[in-house]
Amino acid sequence: MLEHDVLVIGAGLAGMRAAIAARAGGATVAIISKVHPVRSHSNAAQGGINAALTDRGDEWEDHAYDTVKGSDFLGDQDAIEVMCKAAGQALIDMEHFGVTFNRDDEGRLGTRAFGGQRRARTFFVGDFTGQALLHVMFEQLIKSGVRRYEEWFVSSLIIEDGQVCGVMALEIRTGQVFAIRAKTVIFCTGGFGRVFEPSTNALICTGDGSALAFNAGAELMDMEMVQYHPTTLAGSGVLISEAARGEGAYLLDKDGNRFMEKYAPNMMELASRDVVSRAEQTEINAGNGVDGCVYLDCRHLGEAMIMEKLSQIREIGIDLVGVDMITDPIPIRPGMHYAMGGIRTNVDGQTNLPGVYAAGECACVSVHGGNRLGANSLLDTIVFGERSGNHAAEASRDSDYVEFNVDQAVRNEEKRIQDLLDRPQNGDRIASVRLGMGESMNRNLAVYRNEEGMKETLGDLVELQKRYETVPVDNKGKVFNTDLIFALELGFMLDNATPIAMSALDRKDSRGAQARTDYPDRDDENWMKHLVIKKGETGPELSYAPVSITQWTPEERKY
Amino acid sequence: MDVKLNIKRFDPEVADPQPYWEEFTVTIEDNGTVLDALIKVREDSDGAFSLRCSCRSSICGSCAVRINGHAGLACKTQAATAIKDGVITVEPAGNMPVIKDLVVNFDSFWDKINEIEPYLKPEGPEPEAEYIASNEAMLHLSDVTSCIMCGSCFSDCTVLEVDPTFLGPAALAKAYRFTADPRDGDENGLSIDRLEELNKPTGMWDCTRCMECVTACPKGVAPMERIMALRDQAMEAGFTNTNGARHTEAFSDSVEHSGWLDELRLVPKSVGMTNVSALIGYAPIAIQAITHGKMPPIIHKKLPQSKNVGKIFDKVDGPEERGRRR
Amino acid sequence: MKYAFFPGCVSRGGCPELYPATKLICEKLGIELQEMPAASCTGAGVLQEKNELLGDTLNARTFAMAEALDLPILTICSTCQGVMSQANHRLKNPEYLAKVNGFLAEEGLEYKGNANPKHLLWVLIEDVGLDNLLKLITRPLAGMRMAPFYGCYIVRPTDALEFEDNPGRETALEQIIETIGATVVDFEGKTRCCGFPILTINEKNSMAMVGKHTSEAKDLGADAMITPCPLCHLNLDSFQPKAAAQAGRDIGLPILHMPQAIGLAMGLSPKEMGLQRHIVNTKPLITQLGVGAV
Repeated sequence: MLEHDVLVIGAGLAGMRAAIAARAGGATVAIISKVHPVRSHSNAAQGGINAALTDRGDEWEDHAYDTVKGSDFLGDQDAIEVMCKAAGQALIDMEHFGVTFNRDDEGRLGTRAFGGQRRARTFFVGDFTGQALLHVMFEQLIKSGVRRYEEWFVSSLIIEDGQVCGVMALEIRTGQVFAIRAKTVIFCTGGFGRVFEPSTNALICTGDGSALAFNAGAELMDMEMVQYHPTTLAGSGVLISEAARGEGAYLLDKDGNRFMEKYAPNMMELASRDVVSRAEQTEINAGNGVDGCVYLDCRHLGEAMIMEKLSQIREIGIDLVGVDMITDPIPIRPGMHYAMGGIRTNVDGQTNLPGVYAAGECACVSVHGGNRLGANSLLDTIVFGERSGNHAAEASRDSDYVEFNVDQAVRNEEKRIQDLLDRPQNGDRIASVRLGMGESMNRNLAVYRNEEGMKETLGDLVELQKRYETVPVDNKGKVFNTDLIFALELGFMLDNATPIAMSALDRKDSRGAQARTDYPDRDDENWMKHLVIKKGETGPELSYAPVSITQWTPEERKY
Repeated sequence: MDVKLNIKRFDPEVADPQPYWEEFTVTIEDNGTVLDALIKVREDSDGAFSLRCSCRSSICGSCAVRINGHAGLACKTQAATAIKDGVITVEPAGNMPVIKDLVVNFDSFWDKINEIEPYLKPEGPEPEAEYIASNEAMLHLSDVTSCIMCGSCFSDCTVLEVDPTFLGPAALAKAYRFTADPRDGDENGLSIDRLEELNKPTGMWDCTRCMECVTACPKGVAPMERIMALRDQAMEAGFTNTNGARHTEAFSDSVEHSGWLDELRLVPKSVGMTNVSALIGYAPIAIQAITHGKMPPIIHKKLPQSKNVGKIFDKVDGPEERGRRR
Repeated sequence: MKYAFFPGCVSRGGCPELYPATKLICEKLGIELQEMPAASCTGAGVLQEKNELLGDTLNARTFAMAEALDLPILTICSTCQGVMSQANHRLKNPEYLAKVNGFLAEEGLEYKGNANPKHLLWVLIEDVGLDNLLKLITRPLAGMRMAPFYGCYIVRPTDALEFEDNPGRETALEQIIETIGATVVDFEGKTRCCGFPILTINEKNSMAMVGKHTSEAKDLGADAMITPCPLCHLNLDSFQPKAAAQAGRDIGLPILHMPQAIGLAMGLSPKEMGLQRHIVNTKPLITQLGVGAV
């Protein structure tokens, strides 16, 4: 019988941090991931990780205020305080684990400027900070001896009488179905980026955890808050890091003007991401772009600096669009990037389901509110990954496994999968349903939204869900059946899409990443609250939760 | 643009499974990558075609395959430049057993990474704040930590092809990441235990310097260079009792003193002048060489002006210069 | 055409058949070779392993000598070529070049950065031209099947070897085989490693490499293997019997130096080409050629 006190689902930064913390807390821990841990999407974070170090004369309250303001005052200030207070230690922990952070002339950790921060407190490794952290976390995971289920796909959560019992998982290499018992489960499954097409996200970012949790009765929160990153490549949607702007790059329209002057005269290109994306989209819509893009210009930064600090994004520009940023500006546009919303948790990662936790991008504590500042995500994963791991280990000490009929569960899941494989071949292809969803979401739930568009997408989603029910799986085999995985993931993606669209339609104001042309102003009187969505009898049900306000009174947000 | 792909496939679930080739033609953007083409094959032609891929931007390391016989990331390779005689040939990565189609079994790869204890091992007390380290040192390490564990180097390593026990380029490069980290090891950053282990058979000396790994690596890690650096570190640390170390020293001495290579003496000096059994092992070849007129001259004449070569050695590799290099 | 000749160490040591063969075919090709007796070993990658700057300085010294003669450099060893190309690539950095020249000053030498060392293989394709080579082929090796074995250092890394600007280099050896009238036997091992660098370090693996590549070529029907690297030749030829014994099979594949194969096709005799020196018997080849006993 496979059983563990704490089962962490997802082996990105949050997952590995949680697993290591839980293990240190004395629990039996296992971590399960549908890809090898180092393939996790934490890899793709480029710019850096924020922390206010007191020995530099920085204050965590300043970082917290910048974050609160960045969130457009939707972020829960108590949670933000927790995160910013813990940041310094989290950073030093990472350095002690071995991360090869950039240094200043005195050999101390060096910083770069980043969006929405009034002083430079972003610590970095070139322009591949996420990859650097992820690999060091994996080294520590190896060292910790935590049991790893690598390339295992969690297909369902097992709940008995409102209590979590464990998960059903498919060993991808053999196709065998297993039940894994756990006293506590921590979802660290990342974002739902592939619900949108295009997206900066990897193909594996299909919102599995948020869907599984939602279907089991967990609350999701702030699902309408979807970040469109200002600098993504046309076509593939691949990310070009904010680090470029942090190091001084300009955003230019087709005539070479720095248009951010009109929208954020103080912080210019380093205003918060939603502000910059809206600025770009407005310029593009007004005809000041080229082929739906504006330009990111790094030429004045010089070859030496680009090679030292931005070499990876330079490679991406050359490989994917044939542009060398040393000599030419890169065409970019806003692209779907990050989910501020997700599974609702408290500051210890607990959800409304006993024994079920969440941390990282799939969770909504909320520290990012309506808009996430760059370099706060890496921090979020480490701080709340650790807190969830600690709490889950503690909680599992005093609890027992919940009994359930393991054989029956395995048989049921095997049948469910076999039914999927046995579908007739005449339905729509998986890719076409996925593209239909992605294109609709990107059309109507992007930088600017309106009622008509969002209703259209909700209608599209109903259609797509029907089409999904008959999508065939080409591969009838057991070994490494990626086709089956895609079919299951598509289901999860659709499960995320409707809550996103419903929440966006319900929120009748513009705040953070949500910008409605029919409700263009921020309406604190009526909408200073979180949208919570939960699975109901006939469909998802919306409710509201207050925003925690501790020190900072909401004010107008100007950059 | 239309591209034709010839893909080496494998289905383990048929009776008597054998690899087979299958051709596909797909339409992608003009600046599309080989990965874009492979995904099209999967989405439009055959959903049963399996490959690993995720980020599409050369950072996750999932999509390492052999394109036209050489390993690399499919997402980093422009399809247009990969067409040879009208077709792009794609095979699974080498030196690893095939699970299905382009999906290979990475177990031996990860076993070797585990073997080198891939986590920082600082001796001595941990500082309260960060370790002090120069940016230069961190930038140097960042070149090596750029490794995304894609397996391209492992795939094309010519030593692994004949000897699966070799630690291999990825594990050795990863080991260098620690031996070169000033925080690993003692207060001077010397990781003597690591060097001792890596100095043993199947370690740093088994690399044949063929540069396949340098060519294959999509992130500029240059594993072979790291292995050479490890050798240097090992010799500096006093680990000179290996054929490899002796070979390097003997070669160097020969060039220093005569300007060129004394092949005849290089062999016995490498194995150890007192290593009687090894020396006897070379006897049959030596005899053959003599009878065929291939024996290098017994009297190794110095080149004209070889003194100047010696002077260069002093200037470039003398103790002062070596001290500066550290 | 005149070149500053850099024969390398092995062609004067363990592969003494290569040096005279080279001189004879160069005569026919109208290539004049000017020796540089004081030019040192390139370092063969071994010296570079110990101290790259040292290796680059020694090679810069050789380049400077050739510049003083106002002649381009010609090499006959893949390893020499590769090491020189890599050094030259690094020396393109003006600061680095200045540093290296600092070490050469005492000897009165200065490398100005204009060297373009070329292996005879490339000289034939690029400077002589295959058409002109073809004119000198009086005894095309018709019916002979030859497997090309390049040697790592003349195919990697492609940027130092300037493959992008000289695309012919990638298939140069196959082009030579066709020009001399033989048939190319394509095989996977053609750009792999012969195992020479680890001969004294891990003999088992070295022999396994020799065994693998010669067996593969032989099983595909090759009558001979041709290589532009004397280090590869040493391993593939002198150690072939040992490799065969380790592999537990017969191989018996004659290994030819590139100049030898060209020389035979030019009508020179096997004895002139030094075929009698080989460890793996070349008599079957000679019989196939129909030129009588050596």
